[in-house]
Parts: sequence; structure tokens; C-alpha cells
Amino acid sequence: MSGIVLSGVKVVEFATKVSGPYCGKLLGDLGADVIKIEPPEGDPARDWGPFPRTGPDKERSALFLYVNTSKRGITLDVEKAEGVELLKRLIQWADVLIDNHPPRYLEDLGLSWENISRLNPGLIYTSITPYGRTGPRANDDGDELTLVHAGGMGYLLPTRSEDISRPPVKMGGYAVGYYGALAAAVATMAALLGRRRSGKGQLIDISLQEVILAHVRGIAGARYHGVPWNRVPAAPPVMGRMQTSDGYILVAPFENHQWKAFVELMGNPEWLSGPEWDSMFYRGQHMFEVAPQIQEWMMQQKKEDLYHRGAQKGIPMGPINTVKDVLESQQYAARGYFVEVEHPVAGKYKYPGWPYQMSAAPARVSRPAPLLGQHNEEVLCSVLGYSKDEFQRLQKLGIVKRMTEGRR
Amino acid sequence: MLPLEGVRVADFTWVWAGPYAAMVLATFGAEVIKVEGHKRPDMIRRGVTRWRVRDDPSAMEVTVVPSTGFHALNMSKKSVTLDMMTPEGRELARRLAAMCDVVMDNMRPGAMAALGLGYEDLRKLRPDIIVLSSSSHGQKGPCSKYEGFATIHQSIGGQSYLTGYPDDGPSPGPNDTDIMNATTTAFAIMAALYHRQQTGEGQFIDFSQCEGVTSLIGEFIIGYQMNGVIPERMGNAHPVYAPHNLYRCWGVDRWIAIEVHSDEEFARLARAMGKPELASDPRFATMEARKRNEAELDRIIEEWTRWQSPERLEDNLRQAGVTVAMSQDYRDLYADPHLRARGAFVTIDAPVMGQLELVGLPWKMSDCEPVFKPAPILGEHNEYVLKELLGLSQAEIEGLRKKEVIL
Repeated sequence: MSGIVLSGVKVVEFATKVSGPYCGKLLGDLGADVIKIEPPEGDPARDWGPFPRTGPDKERSALFLYVNTSKRGITLDVEKAEGVELLKRLIQWADVLIDNHPPRYLEDLGLSWENISRLNPGLIYTSITPYGRTGPRANDDGDELTLVHAGGMGYLLPTRSEDISRPPVKMGGYAVGYYGALAAAVATMAALLGRRRSGKGQLIDISLQEVILAHVRGIAGARYHGVPWNRVPAAPPVMGRMQTSDGYILVAPFENHQWKAFVELMGNPEWLSGPEWDSMFYRGQHMFEVAPQIQEWMMQQKKEDLYHRGAQKGIPMGPINTVKDVLESQQYAARGYFVEVEHPVAGKYKYPGWPYQMSAAPARVSRPAPLLGQHNEEVLCSVLGYSKDEFQRLQKLGIVKRMTEGRR
Repeated sequence: MLPLEGVRVADFTWVWAGPYAAMVLATFGAEVIKVEGHKRPDMIRRGVTRWRVRDDPSAMEVTVVPSTGFHALNMSKKSVTLDMMTPEGRELARRLAAMCDVVMDNMRPGAMAALGLGYEDLRKLRPDIIVLSSSSHGQKGPCSKYEGFATIHQSIGGQSYLTGYPDDGPSPGPNDTDIMNATTTAFAIMAALYHRQQTGEGQFIDFSQCEGVTSLIGEFIIGYQMNGVIPERMGNAHPVYAPHNLYRCWGVDRWIAIEVHSDEEFARLARAMGKPELASDPRFATMEARKRNEAELDRIIEEWTRWQSPERLEDNLRQAGVTVAMSQDYRDLYADPHLRARGAFVTIDAPVMGQLELVGLPWKMSDCEPVFKPAPILGEHNEYVLKELLGLSQAEIEGLRKKEVIL
């Protein structure tokens, strides 16, 4: 009998921006019951966009809408004592707590790991912080730009720079946050599996700096074998990213059979007819000599057409797609990758689905991202068992906020 | 007890994205058996000393001893060699798969089925088996047979286009996409294991590595539909925050990253620069104003940073309460006192090469101490797998070796 993988798993997400929320989405889209806690003014991701042409609007930020599907949302003022009480009640209810505040933040509210595990011994506490919870930098702040450099990936970007006097760049978008979310989700899943045996919860300490470091794990080659390690390639790049008449494409025929196919694709030019070109080693040393001819041929091609002709011959290649190209992908359409999600204020859009199609328990969006404070009453009264009167009292005190009327 | 103890995995993957995923499972306690053909082993095994002997073509050959890169992706696994081009090799692979809870591959779609190792074959041998096939584009669709690797997936998926200088071409990353997709793969497999614990049911997971990339740029996908504007490269800029850039420091290719999230933080930076007046300068007093005058502000900051060592500057700005990090190269990373204090690196005793310090895994768990053992020599566990698991006699094993089914 099929079912949703994580149904019955209760998650409290006390997190903002990308890392914690996307981790919450990964669990929620697989069926976990996720309650997201926002500060009264809302998650900053509500202010980051992208937005429709009508301008910024807390209910129409594409980033917030995307990383917060399949959750209920409440607002909570934890600066007030009664807000902390409420947070404790939620922690007692939960199987998993996702938190991406600085390590000291919950501690200062009286919620150290010791206290948390006393409140709920089975709790899995997934803590995502810039530099982890221990070590000399544990309390330092960091985000996309600083962490991609502290973790060592930024130093390599852009990867085929020809001019070392220009500064390195970050990854486009929120790679640190997303990569961190994936690491957090893996560790959380492992802890959930472990808990079914031991009954015990545990503390998961995710350092976003180390997440980025894990993505440049080839650094050992630089240390032990002198592999060049900066954004200027070891040799002038011949292939890889190439320009066509209408955009960029990646072409990488490294192996002998792929190279042979590529030469065929170019119509077996006379300047590549010598048998020495059959050797991968020779090509590594001499490819630059034919770079102008290859580039000249590439500039006569159109990227999408070249991609299909080349890939069908077994050459590893792919166009450098814009977001528009990605949305128009025939391949994605054939797999039903995008899913339509209708949000009561923002409207209906195609959202990315999941790269894993699971035959027995497919992921799905159970509900669109919550409006600010949308489930305050539902969560307090139905989940935590507060009476209507108590709820209204807390609302008057400003512990929870009245749901936004939206539509500015 | 580790969370995946008692789980056995047949790992038919190679290169980066598959092996790292299987390594994650191994460090969580699963018994991971890497299956390679010794006539066509994992190509990452080659290149132990590739860069030190640039004029020696033999550096491109595959050796049985793991390379540094192979260790980084295959720690804590076992290795068996089976020539899948022979019927005996395929039959042994089927028998091994039937003894496993999870079977993973990252071959071209259809390749496992052609070997008699597809999900439909394996579920007949073991109904609750979990099979994950990871490929560039997924198992079906018009492009499903196209080959690719990390930078190609990152480009097709839309992330490369967004990375780079606004006035220059797009840039894929340094194969980070393979690690990202491997992490996602490990998540999906563990979700399937959880599902099996609850229901007793196995399943097939069809994984697309291009889609893995697009799932991490959802805000751009939705944003484009909202406003019709194709998002372009932004260099180091943030949509809201300023300053938010890399600044030149003293030295050769030395840089510092500074990101300021509030007016208070900017005032701290201005004080640290010895220019407190910048915080009340109408050009820079608010986030909106700084964003408007970002280029001028960047020029002023860099005029100050360029005479300083990045290490010292980083320390000073940290103490001043500014969000800062120097752009670390591999030496900086290995020397980073914070990473060292946290045990971010693991040391293994590698055959031939001796002690190697490699990057560990990016999670610390209070009740789960991961296992890190060197990656296996090619065929290191042939005896164990064939004799102990599959029950072959010594004579049968010798026969297979003579026929070159195994190494």
C-alpha cells in the first residue's frame, strides 16, 4: 500500500531565508506535518523577491513562495515570555525542530540543547548556522557571500576566468542556503531512521561553511599533487564553455570515443585528421593549437540544434540555459517535472518539482506557502489545545499576530 | 549504533555523483559494496600523481590503488570486481543485488535493464528492494539517453547562467553539482528506507541530475513567470543588501568578502574604517541609499582594504561585528583554525600514499559518530563478497579468476 513517506512526522521550523525553510520544504513535500514559525514582521525572504511588476509584497515573493510549500505558518513574538512558552509547547509536540538562528539565540531564550532535550527526549534538533555551534567562530554571522568564500568555493569562481585581477564571484542565487538545506535534510533523515531503533533524539550541528567545503572536496588533490587551485584554468581553455551564434554551450568530449564523435560532428575537418589526435594525452597537450578553428566552427552553430545533434552522437554537452529555456524544456515537460501551485494571493505558477521520482511514495505540494500568520488560530487551538479565549488573549498581547489582510 | 547498520547497498555507480551518495550511506553505517568491472573500473581511480608528472602519459591510466580523488568519494566502502560483459559476471551481480536492500547506479538509462539488473528484474528476486537510478535527464523523455556530468547538468538546469560577472559569460561551478546531487540522492534513498520501515514496501527512484539543479533556483523560475524578466548574472550583488562584494587585499590574488545586512552593521564597518561619517552620509545612510550608490561605496571600501592583509582585516572586522570572510584557497582551508577546531577534516591511512587528510562530511550529530575508512583497492573484498556472501567455493573463485570474470 502506498503512502506519503513522512506522514505522521511532526516538524517545527523556526527558521528564515533559505537553508532552514528549504529543509522544511523537503520534509513537508514528502508528507511531514510542518509548522513554520515566523517573526511578527515575517520571514525576510518575503522581502527579497523576485516580485511581480507591481513591486514588493510580502505575499508575492517568489523565493518565499517556493521554499515554503507544504507548511502551515504561524507568527510568534519570542521576545515576550508567553511567546517562548508557546515555542516550548511546539517543541514538545514535534519530532523534528529545524532552527537556523545563531547558536546563542535559543540558548538566550532558555532553550539550550540540554533544556530542549529535557522538554522532549525524542526530539531531533537540526541546527543550521553559518559556522556551526562550536569552535572560535561559532557566534560569527555569515550568509551567501561570506560563506561561499569561507568554505572555499568562491575562490574558484568564475571557473574559467582569464583575468586574475578581477575579483572572485559568488554562486548565482542562494547556493549556500540550498546546499545547506540538503545537508540538513540528509542528516535529519538519518536521525529519523536511527530514532526508530533507539527512540532517542539528537542534536544535528550543520555548519554552512563546512557544507561548502564538502562541495570542494577535491582540495586534497591540490595539497598532495599540486593540482592548480584557482579560477584561472591550468591551461587556456579550449572546450568546456563555448560560444555559439545564439548563446553558450558546454562541450566536453574528453574520452576517445566522444572525441571521435565530435570530430565527426564537425565534418571530419582536415586539421584534425592526424592519428596523434586519437590520444587523450596528446589532446590535453595540443588542443590549444586548434582552438581558433573549433571556435570558428562553433560560431556557425545554434546552441539548441547543436546540443541535440551532438548529444545524440554521445557527446557530453549541454546548453547554458536561461530560466526561460529551462521552463520551455521538452525533456522536463515529458517527465512532468514542473508542478502547478495555486497560492490564494500570488496566484498560480509552475514550481520546480523534485529530481527524485519515487514510485511508491511520490513527493507533492500539499499546500501553497502560508500567508503571514495564516494558521495562528488553527495551530494554537487545534494542535496545541488552547481555547478560543486564550488564543484571543495572546493575540491582544501581540504574541501572535492577526493574519495579514494581504493585498496591498 | 549507527542509523544504517544492517542495511546493505550494491553500488554500481561511478565518477562523482553516485559514489559520494553511496559514501554518505556507508558513513552512516550501511555496508556498501562497490561493484566495478576491472576492465573498466571507476575512472576516478586514475590520476594518483597526474599533475606531478605532466609529460608521462601513464598518469592517465587506471591503477588498482585508489587515487586521492577516489578516496574523497569512496571512503568506507567494500570493492568487488565483476566483468559485466560476461554471463557469469552478470549472474553474480544479480545474486549480489538480491542480497542488498538498496541497489544504485548512474549508468545510461536502460543499461542496468540490459544487464538483467533493472528494477523489474530485481524486484522479482527481492520484492522490497529499493533501486535508485541516477542519470543526467531521468529514465524517460526525449533526452533521456544524453550523457552529461556536473557542469553540463548545472548549465542545462539553469544555475550556470546565473553565476559570473554581469559583463562577462556564464560560469559553471567546480563540479559542486555532483556533490549536491549526490546529497539529494542520499536523501531520497533514506526516505525510501524510512518508507520501507513503515510499510515493508520497496520502490524505484528515478533521479534526474539536471532537475536536481533546477530545484535549487525555484525563485528565479517563479519570478520569471511573475514579471517576464529573464534573470541575469549579478556578480556578487544581493537584491537588497549593500555593501555586498569582494574587495582586494594586499598580496597576490587575495580578497575579502563583506556583506552588510543593516544600517547598524554599516555604522560598525564605517567606524572600523576610521570613517564614521560614512554612516550619516546621505549617499550611504540607508540600505536603499547604499544600494543606489553601491559602485561608489565599493570604491571607497576597496581603497581602504587593498593595503591590508586579508587575515588581519578579517579578524579586525569580525571583532568590530561586521559580516566578513576572506576568500579562502585550499591552503587557507587546511590551515583554518575554526575548521580544525571542529574536526572538518578526517585522516585516513591510504595504501601507498600514506596518511591523507580529506574533507569529512558536513554534519555533526550528537548520537552518530560516522565511519571513515580508506577507499578500497580494486577488488579488495572479492573473497568476502564471493565466499562469505554468495557462498562460492575457493575452486569456483579460482575458476572465475582464470576466466577473468574477476580480478
